[in-house]
Amino acid sequence: MVEHFFRHESGRLVATLTRAFGIENLTLAEDVVQDALVKALTTWPYQGVPRNPAAWITQVARRIALDVVRRKKRFQEKQDKIIATLESSALDEGPISPDDEIGDDRLRLMFACCHPVIPMEAQVALTLKTLCGFGVSEISSAFLCSDAAISKRLTRARQGIRQAGVGFCIPEGEELSERLDAVLSSLYLLFNEGYKASQGNRLVKRDLCDEAIRLTGLLVGFPGADVPKVHALRALMCLNASRLGARTDGMGQLLRLRDQDRSKWDARLISLGMKHFAMSGQGGELTEYHLQAAIAAAHCRASDYVSTNWELILSLYDHLAELSSSPLVVLNRAVALAEVRGPEVALKSLENLDGRKELEGYHLLDAVKAEMWARMGCREEAASSFQRAIDLCGVDSERTFLIRQKASL
Amino acid sequence: MENENENENGYMLLFRGNEWMKQLSPEEMQKAFEDWMAWFNGLMEDGRAIAGNPLEKEARTLAYDGEKITTDGSYIESKEAVAGYFMLTVKTFDEAEEIARNCPGLKYGSVVEVRPVAAACPMSELVKATSSAAQES
Repeated sequence: MVEHFFRHESGRLVATLTRAFGIENLTLAEDVVQDALVKALTTWPYQGVPRNPAAWITQVARRIALDVVRRKKRFQEKQDKIIATLESSALDEGPISPDDEIGDDRLRLMFACCHPVIPMEAQVALTLKTLCGFGVSEISSAFLCSDAAISKRLTRARQGIRQAGVGFCIPEGEELSERLDAVLSSLYLLFNEGYKASQGNRLVKRDLCDEAIRLTGLLVGFPGADVPKVHALRALMCLNASRLGARTDGMGQLLRLRDQDRSKWDARLISLGMKHFAMSGQGGELTEYHLQAAIAAAHCRASDYVSTNWELILSLYDHLAELSSSPLVVLNRAVALAEVRGPEVALKSLENLDGRKELEGYHLLDAVKAEMWARMGCREEAASSFQRAIDLCGVDSERTFLIRQKASL
Repeated sequence: MENENENENGYMLLFRGNEWMKQLSPEEMQKAFEDWMAWFNGLMEDGRAIAGNPLEKEARTLAYDGEKITTDGSYIESKEAVAGYFMLTVKTFDEAEEIARNCPGLKYGSVVEVRPVAAACPMSELVKATSSAAQES
């Protein structure tokens, strides 16, 4: 069976059933799909996997949905219309033609989940639950919080949709661009959650990156969303994700960019990322996503750390710093700055970051400073910076890495 | 029966609990399904199991209330509900238990009941003997 088949089927069917039932009945759509999957789980082991598993599950979901619509009072008024939708081929899987007026219900669900009225974290949780078919525990293990916290976010998201009267549609015209930005922010957040090397199940985090790439791919396939910034986002996701396989060595120890075996970088993802990167350049727009994609592309193009075009990367960070006040940009820029103008200059550029609230309790500032001190031959300062980073670091593999760095001074 | 641990007639595995699947995420369901397939196919292939079926949740329950027989139509969903069964050919309780131990549903909350299949009752033996005698003549 194809990996994540049940999950993807779940997302697809929840989207279409939500269109049939109405967004206010999103939870009901999820319940119906869950029942259909349970049916598969309980009968297939005895009867064997059907030749077309997707069609089988779709048919069962259709049957359960029709039964629900006929039974429940709330559907009495619109019963005929809903039944017509359910019985149509809208439920069936198949290529979505761009002329198809029905369009892709998954995109409608994406826009609904990522509506600006919903808090960001809740958007991501609801997207993962309904569109990506993740369970509550899977989401909580990915975000390193409790099931109860995730449930709360989901409830908040559902309430937000209800209270704001969010519709189940793909926005048009001027509204599309605004809403698109919201969706992109959400997908970016999702990707970063999977990408950052924090504590937690590595496989689940990899899944988050894959889902973000998949969903952005769905988006880019839709004529109205086929715009440069979406390509830029997908480019940065693919290019950064291409390096995930090389991030740890055989013993699970973290490897920095400098030490990674580049032959382990995923060539397919790099190629896909470069394709999107090229398409992102076909327009007047230059967004943060563009700059981040360009930085990632510069790394992916280099055959090794030393031959990386650091001047280009530095200028990209300079530009990024104009668009974004994030201290992380300053931090990452410092690393590039060190390669171009030396560690002393880089260290100086970090002076203003002390006391920045966003970096409170974040070990990377001290880790980067420690490296700069080490490169300048200042062992004492390096050691104490490493120690501060070690004390702040909450991730086992990263802490081990820092301890080794300190020991090798 | 000579030894309580041995049984010529085989053993039945009754899977109790038909709610545990509902709590699983799609990904967990897929894993549970793949594990279950491997387990069941393995048993069928080497002949240790000769039959198995799930039971639908729809039920009609008949009982006598003192005056008349009542029929209650419902969906049975509970931790005790029999969700399905396997018919095993193994000859010892221990072997049957060992098989049950590998049930992929256990870790999700399913309960497996192992029961020896009793010898056929004297009436059915008589029927069998009579019909085979009739065939021979």
